[in-house]
Amino acid sequence: MPNENGKAYGLTALCPLIDDSQNDRSYAAIIKDRLRAMPLDEASPFAAVPNLYLCRLFVLDDVFFQGHPATEDHLRSKYLVFVAELHGKLAPFLEGMWRHAAPAIRELWELCIDFKRVQSPRDFARYIERCQVETTFYFNGSNDLPLAEQLKGLYLKQELAKFAREHQGRDAVSLQRAFRAFVERVEPSNLARPTWRAGASSLDVAVTGEANSEASP
Amino acid sequence: MSNIAGKAYAMNLITPIRGLLVPLNKAIFWAVGTPLLKLSLRGLQTLSMIHYARWVILREHDFPHLSPDQPREKLRYGYMMFFSNFNGSWEQYVDSFAAAIPSGLNLLWFWNVGWPTAVPETPFHRYVEFNQIWTDYYYSAYPMAASNDVKSAQHVKQSLCDFVERTADSAPEEFLRQYHGLLKELQADLGMLAATPIVSLAAEEVAWRRKHPGAQQSARSDLRPPAAQVANDIGQERGDTSRVVALGQLPAEQERRNAE
Repeated sequence: MPNENGKAYGLTALCPLIDDSQNDRSYAAIIKDRLRAMPLDEASPFAAVPNLYLCRLFVLDDVFFQGHPATEDHLRSKYLVFVAELHGKLAPFLEGMWRHAAPAIRELWELCIDFKRVQSPRDFARYIERCQVETTFYFNGSNDLPLAEQLKGLYLKQELAKFAREHQGRDAVSLQRAFRAFVERVEPSNLARPTWRAGASSLDVAVTGEANSEASP
Repeated sequence: MSNIAGKAYAMNLITPIRGLLVPLNKAIFWAVGTPLLKLSLRGLQTLSMIHYARWVILREHDFPHLSPDQPREKLRYGYMMFFSNFNGSWEQYVDSFAAAIPSGLNLLWFWNVGWPTAVPETPFHRYVEFNQIWTDYYYSAYPMAASNDVKSAQHVKQSLCDFVERTADSAPEEFLRQYHGLLKELQADLGMLAATPIVSLAAEEVAWRRKHPGAQQSARSDLRPPAAQVANDIGQERGDTSRVVALGQLPAEQERRNAE
């Protein structure tokens, strides 16, 4: 299936905007304003969505004219384009997205055709599937692990690097003792906690779930 | 508006293909996935700055039609959309692409209207700039991590878990020997993550928005970085800056630069 590469899934959805020709202000402009005002990084509503690696939104107003001798071409609808890289199957992901980010989804999609019927996680999954266009070729330059695995890996990478730096030259006995305390703290096999915070943009907020950490939820 | 989320950059390109050639272009994509033409994209694997990228080819009937009230698209051309998530600046990426897979790019975009070929680079840059659509909102689950960090982190996690199990009952001297072996094995994977330095006007915009959640761009009266920084930004992110200013998206930036 061209939308998938291993367990990584590439979603491309073009959601047509409601006709706004009778309005003073275009819906495209309103959506762009809302997108620009939406919180970023760890404060983003998308940070709560399970298994979302990366996503972007933009309004496709029209296509570009390439100049003579090309012919001028225009779209008849404007589209809210949602492009997401995620782990796993699409429908469960979209249902999870609704469960964790419904207010933001409503705010962004309410000016799209037929979105008013969306009232539940299943409705939202069906709606996006109707707007989905198929990928022709998908390249995965990263990996396709669940997001929790990726985040735990980043946390361990950071913590082990710190441990190695801080314990250089220690004798075998004290190093082994310190390492055991380190393992007890970082819990390498526990994906839930402590771990790297989704969307973390600074080291101050990067760790979540660590004992005695102010960043713990 | 931002194409940047920490170390990740979101690129969106939409380019027309002559209608009759759409099936041929799709067939080329199918073929590059087979051993026959796989070599033409082998260089893509060497571009370790890419998280994920995709091509989507659409004809007029592929555009979603959700209601009888929505007019059906009537287009003379098919359209190829290219979406990429990568690390580094626009120019680093575009130049790396052209250097790593020039023949692959020519193969994939050959039937696109106005395609100038991947080399020389100046017409190629102009083509990408002209057809790029700016992202209105970009989210990364790990803005402080490059694609290589995500990949190396899994190596660290797996090796650490194996090491913990393997050395659970080791005597201290044996533990120390194995510990040194672990660090040697992971020496290329243990670079530490940190926030991205601000290297462009677009990144600066993101930083400002982070400090002022919910505010509009017109309220950016406190944004007064040193002129040298601005000049440096312009040099480093020529593609972003020229496009942003040309579209009038950042009046405060324009105003400030005029004053300078």
